[in-house]
Amino acid sequence: METIVELKNVTKVIKGRTIIDNISFQVNKGEVFGFLGPNGAGKTTTIRMIVGLMAITSGDIEVGGASIKNNFENAVRHIGAIVENPEMYKFLTGYQNLIHYARMAKGISKEKIAETVELVGLSDRIHDKVKTYSLGMRQRLGLAQCLLHDPQVLILDEPTNGLDPAGIREIRDYVRLLAREKNLAVIVSSHLLSEMEMMCDRIGIIQNGRLIDVQLVQELVHGAAEMTYELEVVPADQALNLIDVHYPNVRANRSRNGITVELPKEQIPLLIKKLVLEDIQVFAIREVSKTLEDRFLELTTDKGVTSRG
Amino acid sequence: MIAILVVITSIFGIFHKYQEKDFNLDKNWEQTLQQENEALKKQMEQSTSKLEKQYYKEEIAINDYRIKHHIPFNEKYNVWTFVKDASQLIILAGLFTIIISAGIVASEFNWGTIKLLLIRPINRSKILMSKYLTVLLFAVSMLAILFVFSALLGAILFGMPDHAVPYLNYSNGQVTEQPIVIHLLIYYGLSSIDTIMLATMAFMISSVFRNSSLAIGLSLFLLFTGAQFTVLMSLKFNWAKYILFANTNLMQYVEGAPMVEGMTMTFSVIMLLIYFAVFQFLAFIVFKKRDVAA
Repeated sequence: METIVELKNVTKVIKGRTIIDNISFQVNKGEVFGFLGPNGAGKTTTIRMIVGLMAITSGDIEVGGASIKNNFENAVRHIGAIVENPEMYKFLTGYQNLIHYARMAKGISKEKIAETVELVGLSDRIHDKVKTYSLGMRQRLGLAQCLLHDPQVLILDEPTNGLDPAGIREIRDYVRLLAREKNLAVIVSSHLLSEMEMMCDRIGIIQNGRLIDVQLVQELVHGAAEMTYELEVVPADQALNLIDVHYPNVRANRSRNGITVELPKEQIPLLIKKLVLEDIQVFAIREVSKTLEDRFLELTTDKGVTSRG
Repeated sequence: MIAILVVITSIFGIFHKYQEKDFNLDKNWEQTLQQENEALKKQMEQSTSKLEKQYYKEEIAINDYRIKHHIPFNEKYNVWTFVKDASQLIILAGLFTIIISAGIVASEFNWGTIKLLLIRPINRSKILMSKYLTVLLFAVSMLAILFVFSALLGAILFGMPDHAVPYLNYSNGQVTEQPIVIHLLIYYGLSSIDTIMLATMAFMISSVFRNSSLAIGLSLFLLFTGAQFTVLMSLKFNWAKYILFANTNLMQYVEGAPMVEGMTMTFSVIMLLIYFAVFQFLAFIVFKKRDVAA
């Protein structure tokens, strides 16, 4: 895996307030990296720093080996981005907008523009004024604008904001396709967890300006070490006490049918043995697959101190 | 805006055509000038102000020159007189230039398009530079359109002059003849300095404060009042010569007297360059350092 974007100890301080606190991560070619966090966590600020819209207080960001700080032109030429809404010149047609952006990069032919328009499915309306476009069409025009210069990194800030389910799906399929077929690195930010789960390969979770965790999606959702089991046991209180005594670091809660406990799979038999020895009745054991949402809330409520060893 | 400029120039032309009186050359114009000169001399002796004396001296010198070289005082209203009159509309070209200049950076911020603009592989200085050059280009085209159009319109409405009447220019105690077209071109060129300085200021405000209304408002206010205000100041304070508007009118050195005594062409040009550099410096520094959070 070839790293294309690298953040090194990036910090952003605005008026004495630390907005982004020492974030480091890498994004590789061909992967979709999700940037997840609640509103105001610093997703957009980080993205703005990656594309050079905001200055970096300390640390550095390298795109394709060039520093965005010291070698802006060479770094940013690898990037195609939509930052928040794709704001275009409303009084121009979609095509005129693309021409305008094409002029500012080297060697974009008319054919390339036509090809990109075709790709995002805007051929019918490209010669209409942008002010007549729907949000979905503007989003597509924004995407066309990103792809004109064949970037190696695609950065989409909240790409599905305000789109209808069909539009969301379209963007999602499209992002996956670009990553797979064109070997693009895609950075997507969102606060929609389900969305991320379906679109991304890896997810970085950010809260209060700190990167809490970076995980593969599969790991995050079905992490073997992090499985939750539901035990139907009677009496449940006694079982909880027992778990508290034997596994002081493990989360255990009352649930509707008994208790839930987070344990690695290999420790389950031992736990059952202990329960049985204490004369606690065990009716059933079920694996509860946690959604990303559970994980997310868990991670963020812990303020970054996760129970993972 | 080009349309507005053309329409207003046309109205201006038609208005002048309508007002045009039957022209008859005063047969005794030489005598009239003689009388005028005597009156001026008397006034000059009575006058206490140095500036006024200077003015009378010039008028007398030019009148003398006319009598000596048989150049009649009033001539038939023709294309060049019209172009000279229409040059009052330079202020309109200035107004439009300022509007463009004030909006060219601030609007990008208002529209949010600045985000997509600044992530092109072009650094911010180049982007700002091209925006400024666009403003200059616009200013020059507006002036060119005004000049060419008023010349065309003048030629159609009032006709070419029967024989070329030179413009009489007084400088350094000498009266010189200047072809009228050259005079008008110089006049246009020097008048545009005002416009360009204010456009530069509007551009600076626009990129520093990202607010086009502020930039337009302030610059237009100064465009219309700056000169008068500075004249008032110059009567009381000597330091008024450091004010931008005391220096924008370079015409004052070519003909007439400087606003504040002791000012020279070189002084004004240096002052203008300093103001220009300060405006540009502010615009570029702020634009380059700015975090785009819009």
